[in-house]
Amino acid sequence: MQIDVSQVIKNILLLPLSLKFIIVFNILLILGFIIGKLVLYKNENAVKFYAYFSVVICVLFTLYFISIIWFSIINLFAGNAVYSTIFPIFLFLPFIIGHFASYEKVHFYTNIQILTLIVSLLLALSFI
Amino acid sequence: MGQSLDFEFIHENKCKRAVLLFHGMTGSPFEMKKMGRALYDADFDVFCYCLPGHGTSPINIKTVRWEDWYSDSTMHYKELTQKYDEVFLGGLCMGAVLALTIASEFKEVKGIISLSTTLFLDGWTIPWYNFFMPLGLYTILRYYYSFPEREPYGLKNEVLRKKIAALQKRNTEALDNYPMSCIYELLKLSRFAQKNMHKVVSPVLLMHAKEDDLTSTKGSIFVYENISSDLKKYIELENSYHLVVMDNERDFVFNTSIDFLNSLSSYAQISQKNICVRNEDSLNAN
Repeated sequence: MQIDVSQVIKNILLLPLSLKFIIVFNILLILGFIIGKLVLYKNENAVKFYAYFSVVICVLFTLYFISIIWFSIINLFAGNAVYSTIFPIFLFLPFIIGHFASYEKVHFYTNIQILTLIVSLLLALSFI
Repeated sequence: MGQSLDFEFIHENKCKRAVLLFHGMTGSPFEMKKMGRALYDADFDVFCYCLPGHGTSPINIKTVRWEDWYSDSTMHYKELTQKYDEVFLGGLCMGAVLALTIASEFKEVKGIISLSTTLFLDGWTIPWYNFFMPLGLYTILRYYYSFPEREPYGLKNEVLRKKIAALQKRNTEALDNYPMSCIYELLKLSRFAQKNMHKVVSPVLLMHAKEDDLTSTKGSIFVYENISSDLKKYIELENSYHLVVMDNERDFVFNTSIDFLNSLSSYAQISQKNICVRNEDSLNAN
């Protein structure tokens, strides 16, 4: 089966703006976590640099959360109860993961965080 | 390395009163040493130990929880109560919160010196992007993010500031950053302390710099308004930042602390007691 990339892009462009934002911020967050985990955070001396990098991740998280709330509200008013309730789960997951995380298991919980973001991305892409 | 920073100043003749000091978040007993020496010269035996995770490497501090700090401090306090008739507590920053938390559990604490009490992180050097803090604190990011320590390093005195900046680069006596996980644990300890503040009945002396760069006077005022102690004093310092035990008014801090402790102690010499009463009168007048 061949994927028609141009068709996929066309379909993405047809998606509601809130969903497009969820996809974009989701991808950026996944990349951010992976780059951070693999490259940046290994250098314990670059405190200032990874402080700002973490702030960027926080900003992305905030925008991702806002997009999810936006998408959910739109669907709530449109009568799509399922859509409006599925995505808000991803609002709470980072905090649930954070609650259970410890420094000793930080890599494990970071992987879980990345995994939940991938699931959220796949869910968003399933609307195409 | 952590244990080598501990200090115990013990008189040869059997002293019956002791002061247990606690250092601040990401600090070490080094910052309390001058105060310890001043208290020792005033006939107190003085003890200060490195809190768990402190004084070693920046990674160790990320592995500890506030319960570790509290149980370690309580253990040292209990040990001293076996040896001394009177045990006083003193602390700076998070150390002050620990001292107050211990006092909320042990009513027999003879007196507390609470300096730059850090219940809230709302000082003027807290970065502009502070409003993102909940996202950093309550997600996995807290194990990655650290607030870089910045000027003025808690000191209004510029000469001292340079020395401290050099020490922080070694990351032993003090860290050059505040790991978010450490702040997370401090805030949990602060919440616990706030909840139990009404249980504090021991006499408390609070001192806080008006221009504290890390935590505003709100924390000390909260303590003053919520403890159940009959004797409580709150003094605002005009010419210091957060590290009041090192900054411009350190001698005033030491002398006021000594006077306060002497006024509570049954073992203070009569001459010392008189000085205390006079000083209290002048403080009340202020």
